[in-house]
Amino acid sequence: MKPVRRMSQAELAAFVQSHLRARGITAILSGGACVSIHSEGRYISADIDLVNAYSVNRGAIQAAMQEISFAEQARHFVHPDTPYIIEFPPGPLSVGAEPVRQIQELDFSTGSLELLSPTDCVKDRLAAYYHWDDQQCLAQAVLVAHAKDADIKEIARWSRAEGMADKFRQIRTQLSRGTS
Amino acid sequence: MFLFARKEGYAREIARFFATDLNPIQKQLDKLEMGGVLVSRMAGRTRLYTFNPRYPFLRELQSLLERGLSFYPPEQRESLVMVRRRPRRRGKPL
Repeated sequence: MKPVRRMSQAELAAFVQSHLRARGITAILSGGACVSIHSEGRYISADIDLVNAYSVNRGAIQAAMQEISFAEQARHFVHPDTPYIIEFPPGPLSVGAEPVRQIQELDFSTGSLELLSPTDCVKDRLAAYYHWDDQQCLAQAVLVAHAKDADIKEIARWSRAEGMADKFRQIRTQLSRGTS
Repeated sequence: MFLFARKEGYAREIARFFATDLNPIQKQLDKLEMGGVLVSRMAGRTRLYTFNPRYPFLRELQSLLERGLSFYPPEQRESLVMVRRRPRRRGKPL
């Protein structure tokens, strides 16, 4: 097994997630790390957000993380050999008001990684833009939409369901440019 | 209920409104933030809490709170809801 200090962000996420999975803990990669992976490194994030999809007890997560030498600091976990920090945002796994129905899986030498699909990753970023007007998240959504085949029609449907049809219309061209 | 009625608030004003200790209110706000129900931001030295617009059960929770609020005694409901939200110029006498 590759040492932690040599693992990329995605490899580390796969390593931690696989370890948790073996202990019955489902933690799906979301947030900025997903953007980083789907945009093939055009966005850099130091966070690894693993959504505690089925609200497993915090103590069980702490114990499992300790087994692989991660220590809890405030509300996140750190390891002496990596700059990446790991957080466990609360479940359920959702994008806005809707549950995430399809999880993407990628294989690495350190384990398999379950993460939001490019389409759900775009929705996740757009939720922050829609509700908090976060321009950084809009830029990240655009990066992913351009790098991967995000389903723009599905994003339009979801935006309407979130009550954000008007805001979606304003950004549709930005998202669609370079995609089919 | 306070946050539902007022849209945002901080621990000390919630404790003051319900005439209770600050500590349990802070603990509950912290738990609700950890659970994704609330989010917070700093305004000066005060941590302001609001409902998390990305919480997946927000609509259902707000419907329940709305129903709950409708059963409050009229005076208490009014004191929760009827607060000045419009701006007031600094130094204005009234």
